[in-house]
Amino acid sequence: MTTLGWIFISVSWSLILGLTAFCFYKILKKKKLD
Amino acid sequence: MKNKKIRDSWGSRIGIIMAVAGSAVGLGNFLRFPVQAARNGGGAFMIPYFVALLLVGIPIMWVEWAIGRYGGGFEHSTAPGAFHSLWEKNRFVKYFGVIGIFGPMVIMIYYTYIESWCLAYSFFALVQKYSGILDQSSMLAFLKGFQGLTSNRYFSSIVPAYIFFLITFAVNMIVLKHGIRGGIERFCKFALPTLLIFGVILVIRVLTLGTPDPGKPTWSILNGLGYLWNPDLSQLRSGKIWLAATGQIFFTLSVGIGVIVTYASYLKRGDDVTLSGLTAVSMNEFAEILLGGSIIIPAAFVFFGPVIIGDVANSGAFNLGFVTMPLIFGHMPFSEVLGFLWFTLLFLAGVTSSVSLSQPAVAFLEDEFDISRERAVAMFGVVTFVLCNGAIFFLGKGVVDELDFWGGTFCLVLFATIEVILFGWIFGIEKAWEEVHHGADMRIPGIYKFIIKYVTPLFLLVVLFTWFFQEWLPIIRMDNVSAESRPYVLATRIGLCLLFLTLAILVKIAWRKRKNKGKPA
Repeated sequence: MTTLGWIFISVSWSLILGLTAFCFYKILKKKKLD
Repeated sequence: MKNKKIRDSWGSRIGIIMAVAGSAVGLGNFLRFPVQAARNGGGAFMIPYFVALLLVGIPIMWVEWAIGRYGGGFEHSTAPGAFHSLWEKNRFVKYFGVIGIFGPMVIMIYYTYIESWCLAYSFFALVQKYSGILDQSSMLAFLKGFQGLTSNRYFSSIVPAYIFFLITFAVNMIVLKHGIRGGIERFCKFALPTLLIFGVILVIRVLTLGTPDPGKPTWSILNGLGYLWNPDLSQLRSGKIWLAATGQIFFTLSVGIGVIVTYASYLKRGDDVTLSGLTAVSMNEFAEILLGGSIIIPAAFVFFGPVIIGDVANSGAFNLGFVTMPLIFGHMPFSEVLGFLWFTLLFLAGVTSSVSLSQPAVAFLEDEFDISRERAVAMFGVVTFVLCNGAIFFLGKGVVDELDFWGGTFCLVLFATIEVILFGWIFGIEKAWEEVHHGADMRIPGIYKFIIKYVTPLFLLVVLFTWFFQEWLPIIRMDNVSAESRPYVLATRIGLCLLFLTLAILVKIAWRKRKNKGKPA
């Protein structure tokens, strides 16, 4: 695995994990307020 | 308004998110994505992939959720009615919506059969039917024997495959019969978390493989990941990689099919579509990039090495899933359990997708003809069962490829182009923006107003016209079809035309009935 490979996998995984966490955080926060 | 039939609805917000994500998470996430990435520049593939996700996938997802909820307000669960609601003055627009019933029905015809292979292979894994097979050619013979393409020492007829198809078809019909809340939602709430857990277990197993053969130190899991993720940036100059990435986004998100329009039609007027749509996208991408990208190619690299893996990746998604994966598991302890997890994961992903593909046609019969759920499912079941047999018995004659091209590729882009233009231009972007944000839990960045109106339709029109000018003549002339398969491919095309025509006539009858009853369009 090259350094660029590590960069691509890290960025892709982080983007997806970040998006998933953001969405579920917003949903759970909304549920709490309801 | 007495005797008014009460429309089915979602039981919870997480229910529709699971159902839409379940529709999107399918065999493509685990088989098609890693193959596409490996063939198209490895990590570099992710650049056009994310661009297509942001400019095409996510905007169309929001548009479909909004169109569906809007149509549902007029008691329409499918695209013909939803399109008519958006452009009431136009008498013909509903016929464009027929694609939103026709496309998913065509995909369902062959998809259910492929899904049944997953069920069969999960059973074969448990009973160790293929455990003694150690090479690619024998495993391929096993698959071909199972499919009934040849008679060999593994299978003498297509009967076992047909039995698994019958079970799979029955599972689909049972889920559908129980409706949106009691069937699809309930099933997806169980199936999606289960398959994600199975996926995580398999990823952990693959990532902890290390270097199984000390004699071949380069055949390591890190180099396996590198095979998929090391970027070949020179490939970004090729248009092919951009088209492949856009195609993968369409395929993986289930956009442009008509399924999301139907699912969203069961939402209430004040329900959110922006955050829910984005959450469904994120779950699908989790399954695709984190799970799909970490199982099949890295594992194949570790056991077959850098030379053979190239041939394996180029042999196509099905060979990778049904030939290579059983061999890979054969190299690991508890191979039967791992094989069972892998094929059950694929089976569950398949069922959550195929029930969604069936729902538009069933909902159309239910809503536009006031037919009970049970009767609608029975009618749909009889018709699709007959049609599925064509895909099963003429598998080797190009029928499935033909169905996949028209239902799973051409209709997707065409339908998406129509709905984006309809929503952004005919319905009007200001009204559309307001509609998307009605009851929203999250504001979409303002740039998306511009993207939905200009970028997404332009992108789709370029893809559509490029395809048309480059490909239409060879496809119409069947240049890439063998002489032996041509009569079957031609018969499939005639059958597809008849199916589309029948659906269009049904739409006409439904609207006449609606008018006679004094219902709004």
